[in-house]
This record gives sequence, structure tokens and C-alpha cells, in this order.
Amino acid sequence: MDSIVLESVSKVFRHRPALFNWMGRERSGETRALQELSLTVQHGKVLVLLGPNGSGKTTTLKLVSTMLLPDAGRVLVEGTDTSQQPEQVRKHVGFAVAGERSFFPRLSARENLDFFAALEEVPRKSRARRIDAMLEHTGLQDAADTLVMKFSSGMYQRLGIARALIKQPSVILLDEPTRSLDPASAAHFWNLVRGLPGQGATVILATHSFNEAVTVGDFVAVLHRNRLAGYRKIAATSVEELRAFYFQTTGEIDESAQLLARGCP
Amino acid sequence: MRLSALLDKMAAILRRDILTGIRYRTGFLLTAAAIVGELAAFYYLARAIGPGFRPQGLDYFAFLLVGTGFYTFLLMGINSFLQIVQEAQQTGTLEILMTTSTPGPVLVFLSAISAFARNSVQLLVYLGAGLLVFGAPLPHPNIGGCVVIFALSVAIAVAIGMFAATLQLAVQKGSAVVWLLGSGAWFMTGTLFPVTTLPRPLRLVAQLIPITHSLDGMRLALLGGADFSTLSRQIAILAGFALILLPLSVLLFSYALRRARLDGALSFY
Repeated sequence: MDSIVLESVSKVFRHRPALFNWMGRERSGETRALQELSLTVQHGKVLVLLGPNGSGKTTTLKLVSTMLLPDAGRVLVEGTDTSQQPEQVRKHVGFAVAGERSFFPRLSARENLDFFAALEEVPRKSRARRIDAMLEHTGLQDAADTLVMKFSSGMYQRLGIARALIKQPSVILLDEPTRSLDPASAAHFWNLVRGLPGQGATVILATHSFNEAVTVGDFVAVLHRNRLAGYRKIAATSVEELRAFYFQTTGEIDESAQLLARGCP
Repeated sequence: MRLSALLDKMAAILRRDILTGIRYRTGFLLTAAAIVGELAAFYYLARAIGPGFRPQGLDYFAFLLVGTGFYTFLLMGINSFLQIVQEAQQTGTLEILMTTSTPGPVLVFLSAISAFARNSVQLLVYLGAGLLVFGAPLPHPNIGGCVVIFALSVAIAVAIGMFAATLQLAVQKGSAVVWLLGSGAWFMTGTLFPVTTLPRPLRLVAQLIPITHSLDGMRLALLGGADFSTLSRQIAILAGFALILLPLSVLLFSYALRRARLDGALSFY
């Protein structure tokens, strides 16, 4: 069964210049963030989104989360249309956004999670236990009672992941989740993600890391110029094979391969 | 949404706001000092003008106390809606909050109730200090009347606050509403002097501002001890404003939220 379906989804961002813009150079126009994207993610699978900056990865995640609504096409999450019943969709989705800083700075990590757990209607009885488990999963148990304004980027990122998982969603969206994590924490996180499908969750993960993609993904979708450029199964794919697939589908030049060929480390 | 879930969310929001407030330690002291300073200024202003000036037949210091205290309470309540959206836009929490299982209007509404609760404490301290420290007279207040006027005024402030939040979402300029009430409309609502002293055209405009009737009703009930039949005009006008403005503001806010999701403008500020 398909957990997430995108059918010919397009998203355009329109720019309207300020009302009094005589002095400025701001012009009206539009940016096509996604064009006719069609994708499905099966229940309990991990789909990895790869693509250059501005290719539409984050927009895709935001469309699934209902943070954005499509201009054309439709997005279905667990059979529910995000444009028709966004409230229903939000009950299923947990989203860890990139560059996570969206917390209340004068609350501790535990207090922040408690606040969001209440908004997500996590039952009171199991809330404390679940918060402790999430803090442990993300390696934040020692910083549980520290005000988050004292957190490092990596700690923010981990807390964002804990928040996304707190309601035990059936669909988990992760936007560059290991961008600020050290290698050991990233590996720990990959283990965590690999365990999610076993708990019945479907995952979409946007990343620039081929290593991350082959470690956690079941399928990979490559976005390029706001369209789907390639799609394949990851099983038994090496990092090098995925790298080759990526550069072949995007048509971009792999400068790192050229550097390696010239003997640069 | 179940009532228990709603109460649980309300408790979570109150807890967040109390903890955040407590951790801004100096904020309490500064607010207390500002209250005492303002009351002292009004007290000596009333003394300088003399006991002969009795607007609406009331002691002038008591008139100022209720006018400024209640006006500030309502304005801060309205401003809290704007602040909630603005802060959430700036910290990046708005996008995340709007993807939780709690609908956007409910979330903003609950956050504003928390802000009103905090402002109510401040209003009670303000009125208490005016009565106890500066000796404002309070002969026979109609507490029931005060409660009705208070509740209707808060409902209207919620609606105006939702309009401010809508403007903030739509054009990132909700501060215009607060500015309009804080400066342009302020002197027309009878906060510092009776509306009857204004020229006729401004008096007519004043009647269109709901806060004019809030202050009028609150003074009549609290200081004048007016019964419900005397208060019926103010109650009817305030109820009319509330019935029209509340549903309209919720509709507009929901529309602006949907528009922001379409435009990708939730995090713009």
C-alpha cells in the first residue's frame, strides 16, 4: 500500500514587490519550485531525495507536511488529500526541518518536547516516558534540563528529530537531518532511521550525502531543475554507484571525481 | 477536538508562558516600577487639576485609573496576538506549530488566552495599587456588571487581535492595527477625558470604536455601581460588536493562513 502519493504536483512561488518600491530594484515574478512531480512511497519504506540546492527537495517535504499547499496536482498522505483535509494529514506526519532552531529558547529540551507533545495530543499518561525515550534515542538525556538557548547546532538538530518522532507518526519527513551532526551521532541517527520502518513508519529523507542515502534508503529519487530526474531502488547499491547515477541523471559535472583522478585527497 | 485535549493544550501553553516569563527575571520588577510610576503621575495630575473636575460625576483619579488600566489591558491583549505570530515567524516556530495536530486558529486563540490571563494579573495589580496605595474611591461596584463588560470587551479584543494577526500573516504589518489603536484611536475612546469633550464629528467616530463602550461600561459598573438596566446600552453595543467581529476575524485568519501556505509565506516577516 502507498503511504505517500504525489500526483503531478506543481508549486510556484510568486513574488510581489513592496507597495512603495520606487527606490528598490525588487521586481515581481515567479519561481517554479516543483513541476509535475509524481512519486509514491510505499508503507514502511525509506525514500531518499537527492538533488542540487534549489531542486525542490525541501518544497516536496513541505508539501507532504501541509506547510505548503500545491498549486496543481495533489498530495495524498495515508489516503488523505493535504489540500482537502490538512488537519487529518497533520496527525500522521512528523517533520524535522533543516537548520533546526524553531524552539522556545527559554524552555529546556524536556519542556519544549512536553509542549509540542501536548499540541500533538500525545496522551498525558505516556508523555513523560515517551519524552525520556526520545531524549535517549537522540543522545540528549544529559542535556534534557538545559535551556535550549544554550544548545549547539547539532543539539538543536537532534532535538528537532526528537520532536518529529514524539507523536510516533506514521510518516516521517527529515530534511538534511545529519547536516550538523558529528560522524558518531550521524551513525547513531542512521540506526534510528533504519529502525523506523520496523515500527510501521514511512520516511522521506532529503540529503546531499550519498553515504547517508545508501545507508538508510530503500529508494532514491533525484530531483533536478524542479522535476523528477531519476528514481531507483537502493538495495545493494554502493556509494560510488549512487554517485554515478546522480551525476548521470542531473547531468552535472562530478568535480570531486576529477580531483580524485588528479590524485588530490 | 475533545475538551480534555483542548484543556491539556491550554495548560501546556500557560506553562510555557509562565516558565518563559519567570526566566526573564527583571521583567517583573520593571513592570511593577512602571505601574507605580504611571499611577503616581495620574494621582498628582488629578490633584493638580483639582476636585472640581468630575468627568461623568466620577473622581478624576478613579476615572483615569479605570480608563488607562482597562485600555492598556485590552491593547496589550490585542498586541499579544500580533506578538505571538511575529515571534513565531522570527524564531521559525510558526511553520512547525502550523504542522502540529492543533489547528492554527485554535493555537493562536489559546496563546492569546494565556496572554490575557497574564495581563489580567497586571490589571488587578494596577487597580489594586490605585485603590489601596493611592486611595481611589470605590463606593458600590456592580461586580456582575463588571464581569459582563469585561467578558464582552475581551471577546472584542480577541477579534481585533485576530485581525492584527491576519494582517501580520498576509502583509507582515499587523503592527498597523496596534499602532492605530495605540495612537490614533487612543484619545477618542475616553481613556484620559470624557468623549463628550470632543467635537461632534470625532464623537461620532468614537462611537464606532468598541473600546469607547468598554471603558464607559466598566466605569459605570465599577465606579458608578450602575445596575444592569443602566448598563444595557453598553452591553447591547458590545455584544453586537462581538457577534459580528469574532466569526469574521476567525474566517479571515483561516483564509490568510491558507493563503500563506499557498504562497509559502508562513515564515516571512
